[in-house]
This record gives sequence, structure tokens and C-alpha cells, in this order.
Amino acid sequence: MSHADPAAGSDSDSRHPAHARVALGYEPPAGEDGRIWIPKGGNHQVAGLSDARKARLLGAVLDLKSELGARLVLLGLEVDGLGPAERAALRARVAFLPADGGLLSNLNAWENIVLPLGFHAPRRMHGAAAEVNGLLEELGADPRSLLAKLPERMSAYEKKLAGYVRILLENPELVLVEDLLGGLDAADRAGAAGFLPAYQARCPGGTFVQIEGSPEA
Amino acid sequence: MIGVYREFEGCTRLMGHVLRRLRVLALPPVAESLIRQIYFTGASATAGMVLRGAFLGTLIIAYVIDVLDANSALAVKILIWVVLREIGPLIAAVLVIQRSGTAIATELALMQISGEVANLRRMRIDPRDYLVVPRVVGVALSTAALTFYVQVIAVGGGMLLSALTIDASLGQLANDFFLLASPVDFAYSMIKSLLFGVAIAVICCYHGLHPPGVSINAVPKAAINAVTQSTLLVMLLNVIFAYLVFGQAFFGLVTAKL
Repeated sequence: MSHADPAAGSDSDSRHPAHARVALGYEPPAGEDGRIWIPKGGNHQVAGLSDARKARLLGAVLDLKSELGARLVLLGLEVDGLGPAERAALRARVAFLPADGGLLSNLNAWENIVLPLGFHAPRRMHGAAAEVNGLLEELGADPRSLLAKLPERMSAYEKKLAGYVRILLENPELVLVEDLLGGLDAADRAGAAGFLPAYQARCPGGTFVQIEGSPEA
Repeated sequence: MIGVYREFEGCTRLMGHVLRRLRVLALPPVAESLIRQIYFTGASATAGMVLRGAFLGTLIIAYVIDVLDANSALAVKILIWVVLREIGPLIAAVLVIQRSGTAIATELALMQISGEVANLRRMRIDPRDYLVVPRVVGVALSTAALTFYVQVIAVGGGMLLSALTIDASLGQLANDFFLLASPVDFAYSMIKSLLFGVAIAVICCYHGLHPPGVSINAVPKAAINAVTQSTLLVMLLNVIFAYLVFGQAFFGLVTAKL
């Protein structure tokens, strides 16, 4: 695992060669610290962010809107120079797993997992059951006991797991995981440790970024 | 006043979005949501309507014949005017507001406050596509279906119970009904109830997605706003329909023929 490298280049052309190997680059407005520069591929950790800074970073990456004076480079592209269609295409290559799994409370695990697929790739829905079962088994879970559960009946780990399988189905090039091990006991932490290998096996060359809050927060 | 304008504009935009994005109903998750909405609003609400509808029809016929000392033809005519054209759509709309309107506003407000609407955006799903479109279509279709139930039960049940309680035979009442009722009455009430359903769902979805705060207290406030405003709009639409259809009678230029 590597930590965010704040020492890389900072040219402003949206397709500058210097950006080609950048998975996530974020420069806050002048005078503020918290520059993040993550190369493509591998496992990275962004640690020690306050809740406010974490929210700003995630807001910028997920909404593809950098604040005034801030700069965002995502998967080799300077976001500010992109049009709406390019932004939408870029956003489709990025996935985010919130600390609580990001599930909808009125849908069971199966419905939650295939929800984005139903919108973005409805033709893949026919083969989704086998794919989801395979992924869950690979991650050490029993699909029969998990898939029918509503989020209120799931443990913190099961929620993260369902949210993670949902992400994997979309084969993203960049995965942002918030507080991966937060709220998990030792056994569940061992299970969550399998998230990265599962992603790397499915999306070779993809970038896995863990975003952790500050210990004091 | 600015708030009222903002809400009106928001509801209009939401309605425009629904009309533009009807094609999302073909997507599996949205189609599933539509079926759930129709089941909840249109199917599971029918049980309580049978007795209410039948009693309503009986009351109208009994009052007209006994209190106004009228004949069965006039009683049936009034039944058609009141139940088919006015009370049927209104009762269905009130029932939909009570059951589904409050549920929609509360559910969406909770989803907004708990961050589930934001989670949808993070999945690149427009919350209006997934949460609003199936609810608006489902509630509109269900309101029309409930109106039809009320009409059938109130007219049929009313005639059946009236034959037992007043001095008029069922055959006579039924004969008068089929002579006097026209398909226009049904078409008018169906169009009206579809519009009622759309108005109720759009207002309830709007208030659910825009709760007046981020604390749990905002949820009942959103539900109250949704119920009061959708009731008001249903009444307003009813008046507009009545004006368009019976406008001349309102101004005394034409008197209704009894």
C-alpha cells in the first residue's frame, strides 16, 4: 500500500501527458494544504483527513466539481476542461463505497446490488445472479443468507460487502473506499481484507484508494 | 409568496421531468417500483372502499327519494351526477392522499435526510428517475382505478341496498341508470382522476425530496405540507373541471334539466 504522493506535476491542460498516469489528483485552493496526487494502479491510502476535508474531496470527485481555485485530475483528465458528456463518461469509470455501504433501506441486498446495473446496463441483468453469487462466494459470504436480507438485518460488514459487490459489477477503473475497516470486529476485518484482491483480480490495473478520517475525528 | 412560487416552480419542473423521462419505466428497477406503487395504492386500498362506496350510494338514493320526495329516475340521475362525475374521483383522491400521499412524502423525506437520495446520485442514478417517475405514473393509474371501484360500488351497491330500504325496485333503478348514464360521464371522471393522481404524486414527491430541514422533525412537516397542498390542488382542479364542463350553468345562463 502506498500513501498519497503530494510531489507530482501540476500542469493545467486537461489532456497533458503529465496527467496520463494520475488516477486522482486534487489541489485545494491556494493557501490551503491537503494536496493529493495518486498514480494509477495499486492500493493507496489517504489518511488523516478531517470530516470537512473528506467531504470536500469526495464531493469534488463524485460530483466532478472542483471548488473555486481548486484543481481536480481524475484518471488522467483535468476535470475543469471537460464537457458534460465527457464528465459523465469519466464519472462512470469511478466508484465509491461509503462507510455504511450506501444501501437503500427499503431494498434487500440483491435489489441493492443490482440497482445500478438495472439503470446503466439492463441487458446484463440476466446474468447478474450468477455473477453476484460468484463474487460473494469469492469474498467468503453465503449468497443465500445475504441476498434476501434488508439492510436493517445486516451487520456493518454485510452492508459494506453488499455495497462492494455492487461496485465490482460495474468494473470501475478507480475505486474510492471510505473507512474500509471502521466499525468492524477482527473477523470482519479479515473479510474486508479480501476486498482488494477481489478488485485486482476483476479489474487488473485498477486503482484502489482507501480514504480514512483523522483518528481524532 | 416567494416560497409558494418556488414550490409551484419546483412541482412544475418535476412534472416536466416525469413527462420527459417516461421511458425509464422500461428499466427493470423502475418497472418494479411502478408495480409496487400500483399494488400499494391501487390494490391494497380497495378493501376499505366496498362498504364506504355502497353506503354512499345508498345515502344519496335514499335522501333523494325520501327527503326530496323524488322518483327513481331523478334519484339515479343525481346518483350519476354526484357519484360518477364528482364524488367518485374526489373520494378516490382523498383516499390516495391519506394512504399514499403521506407515505410517499414521508418515505422520500426520510431517504433525503438519511442520505439515501445522495447515495442514488453517487450511483449515477437520477433520484427523480427512480423515485418520482414510477410513483407519479403508479399513483395516477391507481387513482383512476380506485375511482372506477368507487363508482361501481357506490352506484351498484347503492341501487342494491336502496331496493331493500326504499320503495323502488332494483330493476327500475338499474333500468333508469342504463338509460341515463353515458360513456362521457366515465371518460370525464377518468380524465379527472388521472389528473388528480398526477397532482397528488408530484406534490408529495416534491415535498418528500425537499423537506424543510435536515432533522427528523422535517419529515412530518414535509408530510403535512404534501397533504394540505395536494388536497388544495385536487379541490382547485375539481373546480376548474366543473367550470369547464358546467360553466354556463354556474352563471345561470343554462339551468340543469331535472
